Amino acid sequence: MLTYQETKEKAEKRRELTERIKVIIVERLNLDMDPNLITDDQPLFGRGLGLDSIDALELFVVIEDEFGVTIYDDNMEVFGSVNKLADYILENIEE
Amino acid sequence: MTVMNADEIRKLLPHRWPFLLLDRVIELKPGVSGVGIKNVTISEPFFEGHFPNESIMPGVLIVEALAQMTAVVYCTGALQTMREAEQEAAATAEAQAVESTEEVDISSRVGYLVAIRDMKFMKPVAPGDQLLLKVKIGRSLGILSKVNVAAYVGKECVVEGTLSVSQRP
Repeated sequence: MLTYQETKEKAEKRRELTERIKVIIVERLNLDMDPNLITDDQPLFGRGLGLDSIDALELFVVIEDEFGVTIYDDNMEVFGSVNKLADYILENIEE
Repeated sequence: MTVMNADEIRKLLPHRWPFLLLDRVIELKPGVSGVGIKNVTISEPFFEGHFPNESIMPGVLIVEALAQMTAVVYCTGALQTMREAEQEAAATAEAQAVESTEEVDISSRVGYLVAIRDMKFMKPVAPGDQLLLKVKIGRSLGILSKVNVAAYVGKECVVEGTLSVSQRP
């Protein structure tokens, strides 16, 4: 069981990560929008944020550069939403 | 130092005059990187209009030249992979079943340009300049790949940036 303090810290860290991801997406892909307008579970591709496969390549490169985490062809669902991306980064990041 | 001359390039790429912008390949690691040469002369058709009073090679055509060099690296890489697969198949005595490399029209494998990013044009390129076209294939995701490209005149970098290219699906 986590203490209240630990849970709070964990949540805080997670929020920082999702915010950083949103800023990266907006800056790197030159999106004309406020990063805070992206919600954590909003689909990034297609009907959601409207990204495409060319953006995916860009995102893949920047995630690897920023976090040292590689996304492979067979786990493309990682790009589903900011939350899924954050989960994947937390799972695979080298401490 | 010639790895591939103009005739060999024409066998590999579908591009023809006035749009073949690669004269010679001088370094080549198939599928990885390469260096090519484009000699720029006053006889190029685009100097007629770009510009009547000041001959400058259009920056987008330098990008095209870099993309053609990328196509050479890509195609030779694909060809090598195919040959290896063929040899493997031959070793297992199934040679007949596999398409021979000679019969494959490799130019049909040339992919498409899908993105041009952060391209910088540092210096105008004029007749008499020799463009050194350096390309290096970077990371790939699915059928898309990043390519770091740079063009030099002498030791001076004139164009630098990143392309994204797609394999033909």
